[in-house]
Amino acid sequence: MKRGTTGSERTDLQDAGGLTDEQLDAYILARLSMLGVDLSVLPEEDAAAPADQTRILASARRFLRSTPPAIADFELDALGPPPMLYPSESTTWGRE
Amino acid sequence: MSRDPAGRPEAAPEPLDTRVDRRGFLERMTALTAAAAVAPGSLGAPARAATGRTADAVVPTLPASPRAQATDPAELTLVEAAYLIRTGELSPLELVTACLDRIERWDGDYLAFNTVLPERALDEARRLGRSRERSALRGVPLAIKDNYYTAGVPTTANSHIFRDFVPDFDATAWARLRAAGAILIGKTQMGPLATTAATTPDGERTTVNAWAPFDASVSPGGSSSGSATAVAARLAPSSTGTQTGGSITAPSISQGLTGIKPTMGRVSLHGIVPLTYTRDHPGPLARDARDAALMLQVMAGPDPADPRSLGLPPVPDFVRATEPRAPGDPRLRWRTTIGVLPDYLKGPDPAPAGGPGDDDEAVGEEGQDQVRRRAEAREGARAAFERSQAEIAARRAMLSVFEDLGARVVDVELPRGWETLTSSDFNNVRLPERSEIFLEHLRDDVRNFGVSLSAWINGLLLPATEYVRGSRARLILLRAILDDMLARCDVVAQTTPFPFDMVGLPLIAFPIGFESVSAASPRPIGAMLGGLPYAEDRLLSVAAAYQRVTDWHRRRPADPDGFVRPSSGPEGSGRSRLDLFDVMEVGE
Repeated sequence: MKRGTTGSERTDLQDAGGLTDEQLDAYILARLSMLGVDLSVLPEEDAAAPADQTRILASARRFLRSTPPAIADFELDALGPPPMLYPSESTTWGRE
Repeated sequence: MSRDPAGRPEAAPEPLDTRVDRRGFLERMTALTAAAAVAPGSLGAPARAATGRTADAVVPTLPASPRAQATDPAELTLVEAAYLIRTGELSPLELVTACLDRIERWDGDYLAFNTVLPERALDEARRLGRSRERSALRGVPLAIKDNYYTAGVPTTANSHIFRDFVPDFDATAWARLRAAGAILIGKTQMGPLATTAATTPDGERTTVNAWAPFDASVSPGGSSSGSATAVAARLAPSSTGTQTGGSITAPSISQGLTGIKPTMGRVSLHGIVPLTYTRDHPGPLARDARDAALMLQVMAGPDPADPRSLGLPPVPDFVRATEPRAPGDPRLRWRTTIGVLPDYLKGPDPAPAGGPGDDDEAVGEEGQDQVRRRAEAREGARAAFERSQAEIAARRAMLSVFEDLGARVVDVELPRGWETLTSSDFNNVRLPERSEIFLEHLRDDVRNFGVSLSAWINGLLLPATEYVRGSRARLILLRAILDDMLARCDVVAQTTPFPFDMVGLPLIAFPIGFESVSAASPRPIGAMLGGLPYAEDRLLSVAAAYQRVTDWHRRRPADPDGFVRPSSGPEGSGRSRLDLFDVMEVGE
């Protein structure tokens, strides 16, 4: 994947893992369990509730299928820029 | 800092952004590590702020001869009110009383405030009325977003998590406003924890747009919704907001205001409930550029309690930046080139023609529902197209005005990789920051996050490898903006705040026209300009020059009794809800 490629070109790679909904749900719930975060206090499915397990898991699956692959596929040189939490502030470092 | 004979800091001969080394800094900084990610005090029990500065240290000089023709004090701009109080023509008590009267009369419709403090505000007004202080904001009431800590006053961030929280100190930005003589009139409604537009924590819409108080389809802008409505509705002369993903600029545009999101670090975040460490920016929402400049002048500056605010270029004279370069000369104060991106004057394709089609002949209850939904979709597309056409016409007119004022307008190409670097996936790199901040609360009970829970859960799922890579990519985005986009211009007209929010660059929003939905219900149209790091002075000067020759910023929405109220039945009185997926679509 070349730097600057678009989201539409990543489709095949997003699905490279080929994980099913069930597998992703297991991953999500395992990760949350390791952190001590419990979704079971939410109703399983209740459209009238602010949040329910079904919608939270659907959102999380969508996120996992899109965001981590898109970022991981963005190639950067090892000698490229270091991580920058506050990019604009770095511009002050070169001021006279 | 040297001062002129009137006691104000000497103006810089050039705006601050001319001293930015646009290209060279990257080569010099590669040996350095990332800036320290030092958070404000921990939630609920933060360290006491070193607010530090006295009123004397934050007193800008007020512009002389403000326009002050309004008879109702609540109609005055911030500068007008402060000036009249200083000259003794208006008392703080008169001004506070006028604002409280409007709040009492209309806030049941607007729902702009979480908390109103009438007794406290009146007491302060009496005290400051007796004072001889010449502080810049003496006796002026302000509406403060409810994520700013205010000592002794509930600070809820509109969340279940903070519902009983009463801080024992002021956020630095509010402490500076207070030290300059401002009065806290109330805390404003906001999106829960500064996500999305103002709703209850469970998603029921609250604050309305002052230009369409009974039309739930017209967004007030978020998450600083209450702050915007309070100013547009003349419940307070100015307000504060925070912006992580458009939350100052969007409500300013939605409600005909001038709002500025400064460069990261220019205003201390200490004592503001954090949403995303790297992208939260405090700033003012005001009636015009002069008011925004005065607010920012007071709010800005280094704060030992927030390392992000330290080591930055000195704060210039924002108020002076809004003045003409010579009396009576309307031209831009500084030679300025305005960049126009390829899509800035391009609208969507025309909406398909209305009327039932073949597929609208479905029968039965389900079929009728489909017909209704398609009709709504067509109507939505038609309205969006008309809105877009009005926006483009207003943008063309704005650029023409700027050319008349001496600006050079140039086309600017989108930098390489723009689509990827500014995509929602790369914008999502922010999510682990909020999840980390609130991890203990997530462990305690996820229900406390109400309708915006998804973003916090998703943030827990982004691996550290991708977080680091995304953080590296942000520097590439900054380089693309500085080296490609802003190499050919000083400011660039924007259609979305997200790219500049991602890298901490300043944005200003201001009104440039109206969409005439109906004669009784015009909708503001706004523009957004982005600039180089610490270019707040230039952005304010550009907006102020535009406002010297236009009057969009002087128009005010009618009071609620000037609009048609909905019927009192369940359909008319019910407030709509945001769904969890709506929040994901429009959230900060």
